[in-house]
Formats: sequence, C-alpha cells, structure tokens
Amino acid sequence: MTQLGAPVFAADLARALEALETTRVDIPVIQPAEPFLDMAGEDLRRRIFLTESETGESLCLRPEFTIPVCRAHIAEGVATPRRYCYLGQVFRQRRDGANEFFQAGIEDLGEPDEARADARAVSDARAVVAEFAPGRALTITLGDQSVFEAVVAGLGLPAGWQKRLIHAFGNEQALRAMIARLASPGDTAAPDGAVAEFLASGDAQGLEAHIESVMEATGYSTHASRSPAEITARLMDKQALASTRLSARSLEALKAFLALDVALDHAAGALADFARDAGLDIAAAQSSFEARLNALSGRGEDLSQMHWRAAFGRPLDYYTGLVFEITAGEAGLVLAGGGRFDRLMALLGAQDPIPAVGFSLWLDRIETVRAGR
Amino acid sequence: MTLTIALPSKGRMKDDAVAVFDRAGLSVSAIGNDRSYRGRIDGIDGVEVAFLSASEIARELGAGAVDFGVTGEDLVRESLPRADERVEIMARLGFGHADVVVAVPDIWKDVDTMADLGDVAADFRARHGRRLAIATKYWRLTQSFFSTRHGIQLYRIVESLGATEGAPASGAADIIVDITTTGSTLSANHLRILGDGVILKSEACLVRARKPSHDDDPRVGALIAAVRSAL
Repeated sequence: MTQLGAPVFAADLARALEALETTRVDIPVIQPAEPFLDMAGEDLRRRIFLTESETGESLCLRPEFTIPVCRAHIAEGVATPRRYCYLGQVFRQRRDGANEFFQAGIEDLGEPDEARADARAVSDARAVVAEFAPGRALTITLGDQSVFEAVVAGLGLPAGWQKRLIHAFGNEQALRAMIARLASPGDTAAPDGAVAEFLASGDAQGLEAHIESVMEATGYSTHASRSPAEITARLMDKQALASTRLSARSLEALKAFLALDVALDHAAGALADFARDAGLDIAAAQSSFEARLNALSGRGEDLSQMHWRAAFGRPLDYYTGLVFEITAGEAGLVLAGGGRFDRLMALLGAQDPIPAVGFSLWLDRIETVRAGR
Repeated sequence: MTLTIALPSKGRMKDDAVAVFDRAGLSVSAIGNDRSYRGRIDGIDGVEVAFLSASEIARELGAGAVDFGVTGEDLVRESLPRADERVEIMARLGFGHADVVVAVPDIWKDVDTMADLGDVAADFRARHGRRLAIATKYWRLTQSFFSTRHGIQLYRIVESLGATEGAPASGAADIIVDITTTGSTLSANHLRILGDGVILKSEACLVRARKPSHDDDPRVGALIAAVRSAL
C-alpha cells in the first residue's frame, strides 16, 4: 500500500521487509503518550506532538514504532519467536527538517539465539539499505554495551561506580566527565551528627533504624518512595568510596577500551589484545562478541566492510547489548539504526523475559541518498 | 503607536511595581475606578498600562501583545521557549525574589548533589517499578536543568498547581522543583535544597518584548532609563 507522501519505493521496501519472514503490523498514529515518556524520559515531551483525550488521557502522534509494536505484541499474547515489520509515518518536533517522516523496520522478538538474531538484524538492515540505495558507500558501525559492562566489572570497580559508568555509556561527553570525576572526586558534604556517628562506627542497622524513626516522626512513608534500607545502603557505599580514587591502571584501561575503533574482521583480535594488556578476564563477553561475528560471517557478510567502535552505545536504559547504525556519505547521514533491547519487553509489562532486537530505516534519508543529493 | 506596559494586577507585586514606576517619575493611575484593569501614566500620552496576572504578562510578552511587562524571571523562562530570543530583561527590580530549586526529603541523607540524584534516578525504576517522580509547576525549567545541564533523563514530572512542598510527604511525588524565598516552607516540610540544586535566582524584572518597532522609538529608551534610574 503506497501511502500519501511516502517515497515512491515505500511499497517495494515494505514487500522486501515482509519477504524477510516477518509479519506486517499496522500501528495507530494516535498512541497513549505514557509508555513513550516512561521509557525514554521526560525530555521526550518537548519532542513529540502531545494532545489530550476528552477524558484527560495523554495522547501523542507516534514518535517511533518499536514501543507500540512491542506493546501490540504483549497485548495479543502470541507466542514467540516472532518477527514483525512496519512502515509508516512518525512525528517528531524538530528544529531542522520535517516534523513528519517515514520509517520502516523490523522487530525480532523472542529469538533465544542472540548471536543469530543480532547478526540477522544487522545483515537484514544492510541488505535492505543496499537494495534501496544501490551503489552508495555505506559505513556500518557496531557497538556493544555488554562488552563495556564486562570491562567495568572486570576492572573490579566498586558497584556504585560500575552503575554510574554503565548509565553514562553511549553519551561520550557524560562518560568522559564521569571518568574524570571518579579519577578525582570532589569533597562530599559531611552528613549531619547522628548519621555521621552511625557511619563512623559502621553501624548500618542502627543507621537504618534511625532513618526509619526520623521518617515516621516527620510523616514520611517508609515504603512509598525510597526506603530506610535503600538510603542506608547508599550512605554506606558513599562512605566506602569517599576516599577512593579510580586507579591509574583502571583509568588507562577505560580510556584504551573506549578508544578502540577497528574493522570488524579485526575486532575479536583487538578485544583479546586489549583484555590481555589490561589483565582483564572478560572471556564470557568475548565469546558472545565472537559468536555474533561468526554468525555475521556465516550469513555471508563482509566483516572488513563494517567496524566496531567500543564507545558506541545508546544512553537509554532498555538497550542491553548490540547497537548498530548504517550511515552514508561524508556527512554521516544515518539511514538505519538498530540494537538489542532485552529489557524493554519486561518494562512494558511482558510476563516473561523476551529477548528483542530490531532496526528502523529512515526512508526520507534513503530517498535523499538514492537521488544522489 | 501606543506602547503597552503590563503590570501585575494585584498584591505585593502590583504595589512594588507601581512604587518603582513612581520613583521613576512614571505615575501610574487606573482608568475609571481602582479595580480597573487598564491604566495610564500621568502626563505621558501614547502609553497604556494593562494590569494582568504575572504569568499572563510573561505569555503576552512572548506573543508580543505588550511592549513591556513587569513579571518574575521564573515565569518568563518557564512560559517562553527560547525566551532570550523573544524578550529582553532590561532591569532587575529588586523585589519578588524567589529561587527555583530542586529539593529532596531531608532524610535522603545520601543525596547532596545533582550527581547523587542522577544515581538515584538511574536505579529508581529497577527498585520501585516506576520512575522518580518530581512534583512541579516548572516543567520547562525542570527539563532543561535535569536533561541539558545534568544529563538526567529518567524521571517523570507530576504536575502540581499548589502546595508542591507537600507532595513528597503525601506520596504524590518523590522530590520537588519549586520556588522558595526564605526556605522556611521547605524546612517545615522536611525538604532540603541540593547543594547545586538552584535552577534560577529569580526576581521581578522589567522585560521588553523584542519588537522591531522599538528600534527607532525614543519613548522605549526613555522608559528604560527612567526605570533604571529609580533602582
């Protein structure tokens, strides 16, 4: 079905996606806004078109497809594995460029063989882009948050720091700032008298009881928000870290890792060299990383034409492993972006964990590249 | 062309604004009776005074429907996206002081800074099955402070149109973003401002809508100079 204003190749592209063993889903343009705001954060609010139903429900024009496709899958309660494809308009407030544009893509839900599903997503996206923007030089970049997580864990960093670093992963500026801060933390404010005494004596139980009694005395619920146990645990963590610095060795290892950017056919070797030089045991992460590379070559992909950039990630907490994008030209126009989002299905209310990987294509940009503009 | 000056229509803000204008030699009088929403400046023709609520003044300035307004900087920055492109603060008037701040329950003894709050927000969903909830009427200021300045994305805003400081104790939200003058309402509700949690130090300002017609209007410069001389 050719939609009004869709690029001329849209119908062909939709057929190409359906030919990749997918079921086409149609998603209403008007969506409840809550799931998008809940998953992507409050900042999305000024980038979507919001409205309200007569009964006060917050609605928006769909800003993307992944969340509604996953919600539709959960609502239908059908068995996995299942592969969906979509094509349609998405709506976002942008300062530059159109506010409505076409996207298409595939969501692959519930495939237990992660390496196989990851490789398939990358290679499907590459094949479709190559078919609809033929003869254009494409840059294919892969990243993997789980390798970064393994490095951070392997360095033996305190749990609180691991969380901070992983949370900042994908936002290179924030990550650099975080690393700098851990290397030379500023002074932290001294807690007040009673708390300081419990901390000095290492009395976690006493501290928790103290916090609980203060909450009760001041009319704060001990369970509606952060609990006395949670506050106590974080106070103890902070206390333990107050005099700790990121060691020079860890700092060097993190920097060396984040600087890695190599062709995919050399990626396994580069990762192994890094692990050996840094003295890290990240064998489990290495083996799933290699399994994905093998699955990609097994599909006939030319690994020398793709590259792995260790610092590449997405700072959204439902992305868990692989991320990738396909760009064209000097300007690096993103034609396709994808990744693994194993946490999303559970966040959206799926009863059981459902592994998920997918990608979306920017049709207007593919059209630009096709036209050679 | 008539120049329109919007002044607060009631309360301390109105009295203080009129007092500043008086000292500037711009004596404001209501047209008709005391409760009228229109006024003039005695002895000056072609200048009209509109008495509006402080938040309306911010909006009307943004729309260019009035030329000048006296209102709080907090309302200007909250009501108008990219405020500095649309309006210009000509004078800070020294009254209506209020800080827009991030405040957490005082018992969150582990949270002193925005970085601490970022840690708590990152973990919140996993621990509590929902995002960290912030009660505020300052959506725009909160978003730009949390997202742009501190890279904190994972929170939800719970709209609060009154008694925001009660939201954490009542369970309506976890923390608040609100205005405070002395901090006493916050302490009375067992809330504490984060060390780096002051979003904006606001006060009443003389604000000009950026209009091309002001460029060659001598009354505009004269009015600004008069108000500045009164401070």
